[in-house]
Amino acid sequence: MAITRVEVTPKQGPGMRDVRGDVVRRQLASDHSISVPEVRSIVGYLIKSEIPSDSIESRVNDLFADPIIEDASTNTLMLTSATHFPTTPDAIVTVGFKAGVTDNPGSAALDGFRTIFPQANDASISTYITYAFFGLPEQVDVSWLANTLHNNLIERALVADAAACAVGQWPEIEYTEKPPQTFEAPSHVDMEISDEALIELSETGLLALNLEEMQTIQAHYRDNTVRQARTEAGIVADAPTDVELECLAQTWSEHCKHKIFASKIHHIDTETGEEATIDSIFKTHIMKPTHDMQKEVDWLLSVFHDNSGVIAWDDEWSVCMKAETHNSPSALDPYGGAMTGIVGVNRDILGTGLGARPIANTDVFCFGPPTWEGNLPDNLFHPSRVFRGVHAGVRVGGNESGIPTVNGAIVFDDRYIGKPLVYCGTIGIMPRRLPDGRESHIKTPVAGDIVYMVGGRVGYDGIHGATFSSLELTEESPSSAVQIGDPITQKKMIDMVLEARDLGLITCITDNGAGGLSSSIGEMAEYTNGCEIDLAKVPLKQAGLSAWEILVSESQERMTIAVKEEDRDAFDALAALHEVEATAVATFTDSGVFHVKYDATTVAYLPIEFLHDGVPQLQLESEWTAPIVEPFVPPTDADHADLLLKMLARPNIASKETWVRQYDHEVIAQTAIKPFVGVKRDGPGDAGLIAPIHGNPHGLVISCGIAPRYSDLDAGAMAAASIDEAVRNAVCAGVDVDKIAGLDNFCWPDSIESVKTPDGRFKLAQLVRANRELERVCRAYRLPCVSGKDSMKNDYGTGEKKISIPPTLLFSLFGDQPDVRYTATSDFKNAGDKVYLVGRSHHELGASEIAFMLKESGQTTGIGGTPPQLPNPEQNLNTYRALSTAIQSGIIQTAHDCSEGGVGVAVAEMCIGGRLGATIDLDGTGDEHLWARLWGESLGRFIVAVAPEKEHEFTAWMSGHPITVLGEVVEGPTLTITDGYTEIASTNVEEMVASWQSTLDMTGGVE
Amino acid sequence: MMSAPKVAVLFGFGINCDHETAAVFNLVGGASERVHVNHFISGQRSLEEFQILAVPGGFSFGDHLGSGRLMGNRMRFALREQLHAFVAAGKPIIGICNGFQVLVKTGLLPGPNAPLPDFVQRASLTLNDSGRYEDRWVTLEFDSKSPCIWTKGMTRMDCPVRHGEGKFVMPSTTDFDALDAGHQLTVRYVDPSTSVGDGITDEPLPFPLSPNGSMRNIAGVCDATGLVFGLMPHPEAVYAKWLHPDHTRNTAPGPESSDALGEWEGEGLQMFRNAVDYVKANL
Repeated sequence: MAITRVEVTPKQGPGMRDVRGDVVRRQLASDHSISVPEVRSIVGYLIKSEIPSDSIESRVNDLFADPIIEDASTNTLMLTSATHFPTTPDAIVTVGFKAGVTDNPGSAALDGFRTIFPQANDASISTYITYAFFGLPEQVDVSWLANTLHNNLIERALVADAAACAVGQWPEIEYTEKPPQTFEAPSHVDMEISDEALIELSETGLLALNLEEMQTIQAHYRDNTVRQARTEAGIVADAPTDVELECLAQTWSEHCKHKIFASKIHHIDTETGEEATIDSIFKTHIMKPTHDMQKEVDWLLSVFHDNSGVIAWDDEWSVCMKAETHNSPSALDPYGGAMTGIVGVNRDILGTGLGARPIANTDVFCFGPPTWEGNLPDNLFHPSRVFRGVHAGVRVGGNESGIPTVNGAIVFDDRYIGKPLVYCGTIGIMPRRLPDGRESHIKTPVAGDIVYMVGGRVGYDGIHGATFSSLELTEESPSSAVQIGDPITQKKMIDMVLEARDLGLITCITDNGAGGLSSSIGEMAEYTNGCEIDLAKVPLKQAGLSAWEILVSESQERMTIAVKEEDRDAFDALAALHEVEATAVATFTDSGVFHVKYDATTVAYLPIEFLHDGVPQLQLESEWTAPIVEPFVPPTDADHADLLLKMLARPNIASKETWVRQYDHEVIAQTAIKPFVGVKRDGPGDAGLIAPIHGNPHGLVISCGIAPRYSDLDAGAMAAASIDEAVRNAVCAGVDVDKIAGLDNFCWPDSIESVKTPDGRFKLAQLVRANRELERVCRAYRLPCVSGKDSMKNDYGTGEKKISIPPTLLFSLFGDQPDVRYTATSDFKNAGDKVYLVGRSHHELGASEIAFMLKESGQTTGIGGTPPQLPNPEQNLNTYRALSTAIQSGIIQTAHDCSEGGVGVAVAEMCIGGRLGATIDLDGTGDEHLWARLWGESLGRFIVAVAPEKEHEFTAWMSGHPITVLGEVVEGPTLTITDGYTEIASTNVEEMVASWQSTLDMTGGVE
Repeated sequence: MMSAPKVAVLFGFGINCDHETAAVFNLVGGASERVHVNHFISGQRSLEEFQILAVPGGFSFGDHLGSGRLMGNRMRFALREQLHAFVAAGKPIIGICNGFQVLVKTGLLPGPNAPLPDFVQRASLTLNDSGRYEDRWVTLEFDSKSPCIWTKGMTRMDCPVRHGEGKFVMPSTTDFDALDAGHQLTVRYVDPSTSVGDGITDEPLPFPLSPNGSMRNIAGVCDATGLVFGLMPHPEAVYAKWLHPDHTRNTAPGPESSDALGEWEGEGLQMFRNAVDYVKANL
């Protein structure tokens, strides 16, 4: 078949702009301080088709080029056209995908191509983009430039430097076929080998299994009953097939089985002398408390066992939430890794119960500082590039799926250079009962149901994702572990699945994520106790995948759905209408066996029980000794006004508006509190608030808390702070504190003691302390954790070069809000409103943002001290309930949680939101030490403002709770902070706005 | 009085504002139904069954090859006759955001200077000058002399835009002058500090007053009959005051009372009521 090349470039002329080129120009200015007067772009299509080039050329303006705004050329390079490129550029960079990598524009172009040429069935299209640089400074190396514009893991780039440009040697990307894949017949793996050889087998095969696990597998195949059953099934009796070994490795991976949370831990506390055994952190500190709470309320419908936790929201609707991390893939390919993170967690919602509709996303990222100027370890991207890529992936994934991003956070710390954390969460909604009367949160499969794979096809992309994420990042990390999502294929699938649900066609559904079909069908097969899969029926992106690859590939956009035999026609018809591929690949059985065939050949025959419960429990050692950290001693001659401006500019505090505004936060027409609030809509929002049923103001609050800094002193304090922050953010929106549910997402460095991790005992002790605090605080707040996830290998490199992330808990919360018409935002509303502090400030400056800032600037030398504590959470809850009901009653419309940067930063943010000044007196708000009252980050605190005519009602309502008058909102641009009669700081609101907004703008200037 | 006008709200292939678009028509007396595009293409359903057609916002086909292009092509090639008949029958059509992009690329908007469509593309919506997709609130002002039936009586409103390709362009100034003469430049981005009725200007407003660098600050246009209308901002996302950013400041604009949401009706709902009322009165 012939290849036709079509190139398209934006028309030049008055009012026209080459925006793609301009974005590159501004990014070079922002990230690298390189000034280029002009960058132009050309989008290229390589069409492999029977359709002759001249036929394609005659329809170019119907498809590839928009004749109003673009010019096209067919089979000639645009750069050779003197009409379009009268000036010779100084450099050219052309970027295309590597063969086999998901090319979404190419797929869309192909769809459009078939609309115009219906006969072009076997056509394929790949795309590329060419940038032409004019006025590029001479010292800029073209290869370096190319490296900033592509990721060689998934893309290829060709360049022309000034000399090549001068003689018209233009780079020309050619169409490349996917590399041929050879089907390898299933083999069996000899496990009768030494222990050393077992370990080597695990390592070279990327199985990520330890010796005991390998021995457990070895023992399974030595069992005579097993051998006999296998002989009868016609499969090799005394050894696993490669399919079985891969399947076990996926199912038993840390990623899927949470082996550290399930382990038996011997814990020692050298401070208290405590010695204890914890038989599964998960069961002890997370599951048990939630199950205890489940006995006391009627709204916890489904916890832990499904793809997300489900709570009853009202009589008609239930809501569910799940958060995931996608850290390792985002380190390798920030864009693709993050995109698959968000579209992946969307599928967890779609796969909850009999299918929930995703209605809101949350995104929380942890990165290295975007302005990092230090060394970068090999194979790691600069934090600003990770930031841009992750953000773009989540933006495209969320926006194109039509799911609003309503809440999130971005946190910075040097150590996230080693591994960025990319948390993606999704909230779903489903009717309590389906039209056929079934409760939608309960799956109802029976043996005999037909299992479909729905959505995308299976490819070589995404092999070994689950096992890979259970290993530390190295320079050899495989590109096949990375995939690029295709949100539109998934959106079509979501539309189709929700219709199928309402028609009563679904008996069971789950998503294909980590471990692919092996996990999805394997997990669902537990319901009926067996399944039989035929891998030969699975549609492939390219021929030649071996059986084990088909079974474990994590190719995106796929759901596994069970349907009754009699409903197959209706299901097939619905798939056809939505142009979604749906293929029956398996049947549920009650044989007790996970039975996998390739055509007639049995390639895996694993007892369900062994597959799911056979993994041996890890035995781990934990030992806590408090780290010795030099204390934070505040300087004596501080200029607090200056400090305030600097604090507002700290990346952890600075406005993320540039980034957040690029997420659609309002699709579905339900968002009652936007991420940015206030007169200019640029003040910080505390929580997301949505009213998802159109016409009905019944609300749902979504919030989060994250505080990794405190882990430097005590991961327990870190966990408590995260939970408290999430709750306080929700209270600011008027949540019903008696109907809130949480999600715990732990990201930890490797905490198993080994040669690679000599401090494993300490890191595990951090995990123990965090979970003990999680249980204590959640029980006190009656806040059940309904779902969660852990990612336990967040390290880069080994030895001296090793970078371990600070132990990080993201606590997400969703809760009922009775009526979105009565809520609050952080912006000051009117001059004359009275400002109150709810809660008390204690001397808790350890690991505070101000301590880190002053240490980094050399003004102090330590960050140690007491981190924020939560001694009486029951009392806090009572105060929270009082404040939240005050908001629900319309007494208060202004509330802001007081966290990073303490009262100083919180009040400044409220001034920014309202573009109003305030007079604030810190006298009597807590500890005698001024720094504690101004910059301390004590928990349990809010700043609220109340209209003068409601002040009396407010103080009466809050009677018995710790509230202190801070001052009042004033007309004019000045925030004045005093301590009694002493003025401490006086700052101008517009100056604060400038400080707060400039750090993370990173746009290179907007026009 | 006729029964509730039937509204077809298209969905499929990445359209994603179908639920709320269907909901707002129902709030003002319409009877809406979400219908998959392929139902019309296959002939299983017919546009003839409906009195109003809405093409909602979203990311049809991922905006690849230009927003609205591939959906526009499917409609231009497969629904040409049905759409022609729909317009000829004097039935209103609205395209919002991606739906507007689709209608522009099918050629339904701005359309020829004639009552019936010819499916020739005369304008385009291209990448925002900022180079970014953004969700932000803007101020809109309507041309009071516009023949557009959707915007009748509307003067100014706050509304969110949520797009990366909303810059309205046409090849020459005479194209704009012709549309302007027919008052087809129905809605523009304006500076909220101007007085109502005085905000519309042809001079490009700075970012972010104009969120995308649209020529003549155009936010939406109608065809020569005023029945087909499209705009980039999302009026359906302002159906209630509680969706307005100022509602916690008690300053969210909108009618003081309404049959739909009492004192909480938002400014955007009137646009859908206008079409439903038009159908009731005229069809």
